[in-house]
Amino acid sequence: VIEEQDVEDPLWELEMALLESDVEMSVAQEMLDGIRNDLVGATRKFSAETGDVVEDALRDSLLSVISVGQFDFDQRVAEADKPLVIIFTGVNGVGKTTSIAKLSRYFEERGYSSVMANGDTYRAGANQQIREHADALDTKLIAHEQGGDPAAVIYDAVEYADAHDIDIVLGDTAGRLHTSEGLMDQLEKIGRVVDPDMTIFVDEAVAGQDAVQRAKEFDEAAEIDGSILTKADADSKGGAAISISHVTGKPILFLGTGQGYDDIEQFDPERMVERLLGDEEEEE
Amino acid sequence: MVLDNLGSSLRGSLDKLSGKSRVSEDDVEEIVKEIQRSLLQADVDVSLVMDLSSSIKERALEEEPPGGTTARDHVLSIVYEELVGLVGESTEIPLENQTILLAGLQGSGKTTTSAKMAWWFSKKGLRPAVIQTDTFRPGAYDQAKEMCSRAEVDFYGDPDNEDPVDIARKGLEETADADIHIVDTAGRHALEDDLIDEIEEIESVVDPDRNLLVLDAAIGQGAKDQAQQFDESIGIDGVVITKLDGTAKGGGALTAVNETDSSIAFLGSGETVQDVERFEPNGFISRLLGM
Ligand SMILES: Nc1nc2c(ncn2[C@@H]2O[C@H](COP(=O)(O)OP(=O)(O)OP(=O)(O)O)[C@@H](O)[C@H]2O)c(=O)[nH]1
Ligand SMILES: Nc1nc2c(ncn2[C@@H]2O[C@H](COP(=O)(O)OP(=O)(O)OP(=O)(O)O)[C@@H](O)[C@H]2O)c(=O)[nH]1
Ligand SMILES: [K+]
Ligand SMILES: [Mg+2]
Ligand SMILES: [Mg+2]
Repeated sequence: VIEEQDVEDPLWELEMALLESDVEMSVAQEMLDGIRNDLVGATRKFSAETGDVVEDALRDSLLSVISVGQFDFDQRVAEADKPLVIIFTGVNGVGKTTSIAKLSRYFEERGYSSVMANGDTYRAGANQQIREHADALDTKLIAHEQGGDPAAVIYDAVEYADAHDIDIVLGDTAGRLHTSEGLMDQLEKIGRVVDPDMTIFVDEAVAGQDAVQRAKEFDEAAEIDGSILTKADADSKGGAAISISHVTGKPILFLGTGQGYDDIEQFDPERMVERLLGDEEEEE
Repeated sequence: MVLDNLGSSLRGSLDKLSGKSRVSEDDVEEIVKEIQRSLLQADVDVSLVMDLSSSIKERALEEEPPGGTTARDHVLSIVYEELVGLVGESTEIPLENQTILLAGLQGSGKTTTSAKMAWWFSKKGLRPAVIQTDTFRPGAYDQAKEMCSRAEVDFYGDPDNEDPVDIARKGLEETADADIHIVDTAGRHALEDDLIDEIEEIESVVDPDRNLLVLDAAIGQGAKDQAQQFDESIGIDGVVITKLDGTAKGGGALTAVNETDSSIAFLGSGETVQDVERFEPNGFISRLLGM
């Protein structure tokens, strides 16, 4: 029988390991509480150390959090009525615009045409940035002047796609912090005016504890269907993936792995769990 | 004292000490746990949190409170001293001619910060110029140019030149009249060897008086390795924390300061050029502890 005191030390070590991987504290604690409840009092036939049992339990728990809601993205795209309208949201500088450029290439390689809509009518240089991507990728771009109404730009892009048989509308939005009420309201408005088929929340693998807060607030302002985690090449463990899937209950769809157009991968929950637990094993 | 208005759980455990003149080991244990929680939730490096909390614990148990000090105030002042000892005063930025190089991860806020700092220097009566050496990110030239025109400061960049080192060299010549030269660079991270070599070259041509690492307040545990790599490559003299208008606590900056043996120079709290201030330790420490 496993006693409470047998698991305390291994659980503490795992909690620190999760924090070192950037899993948010309350999320980490919730997972470990679940493991404690499952293990304590259970009778186990095992030759392994209790520590290994605890780690196995954590692996299972991480996998179940991070696999939440996984769906076949390509299939959903294939089956959707066209044009399929996707809006990208997230805080400043995480990689929304770059991810749109990458996905435009991704869709083209799978035989779909796309149009980009620059719903970032706010930031300096936003129009020029997305224009350069559109030119490099030979993708149509709909943009208005700086200061214009973001919902109107995306609306125009949907009209354009309808008229020209374009399969997918990729709607960019300005970076905004979840603390900015006015800007968060604007997201709701985009949702109302455009009624997108999919809203994708973009965050970065280097993000720490705050990932939970922002994922929650973006999901509340404009309900998300899934997330993209960028900058996975920057050597962070990416525990933000756990925090985000836990708090939104929606899947991570893609990982951004660099600044090039091909640096995007379909998200693989099992690989992410290995990555999160990676150093643990090396140390042992 | 600044810490008087601490986060509620930390205040709760400190309040238990309010009448006492001596602290027991259990009291200290509980308080140290709360402090650990706050710092970990603020994204301070896990091993740094452990080091900090063990010095706090040791001191709280060993040091006699000065006459007339309650146990509560004694523990509070130890916490405060340890954190101030680490974070230090604001990086010294003399109001005189100088060159500053900005470095950091993709999207951390370098370009915005370069215009903000230029605006800040211009308000101090100096004449700044921003030099944009980012030839990689689409629209980087236009972004920096527009931000500089909003800040009403001189700007140099060349969208037709693909060599950042050459742009840096020419930019310094072309803006020779300015008092302050702020050199913006493309985003890069510690594992991008080519880009790390590139910033070393830019640094050697620019020969800055100060290299500042620009960090997003929301950066997690990766702050340590990033700061270490940038320090090794170009030497980091100060940290700028951006996006403090969000809810992230900015503990990565504490890690970075510890790792690079530097200090914090500026804080960014918005997207306009005016959203910048010099670092001030009290407010930052309060934020770390969850006030
Ligand atoms: N290393 C790395 N850099 C990335 C990745 N994705 C984006 N970036 C870089 O991150 C920076 C910011 O990317 P953007 O696409 O402009 O981010 P954004 O979210 O649109 O930013 P705002 O519109 O300003 O809020 C750029 O320098 C990108 O090249 C990635 O997966 N890996
Ligand atoms: N809310 C807020 N946004 C900020 C702040 N500083 C920068 N930003 C935003 O963060 C995003 C990235 O800022 P940039 O200045 O482009 O970052 P960068 O480090 O130059 O990015 P790269 O050149 O791609 O590496 C933009 O949307 C900025 O407007 C800040 O203090 N608060
Ligand atoms: K240093
Ligand atoms: Mg963008
Ligand atoms: Mg930049």
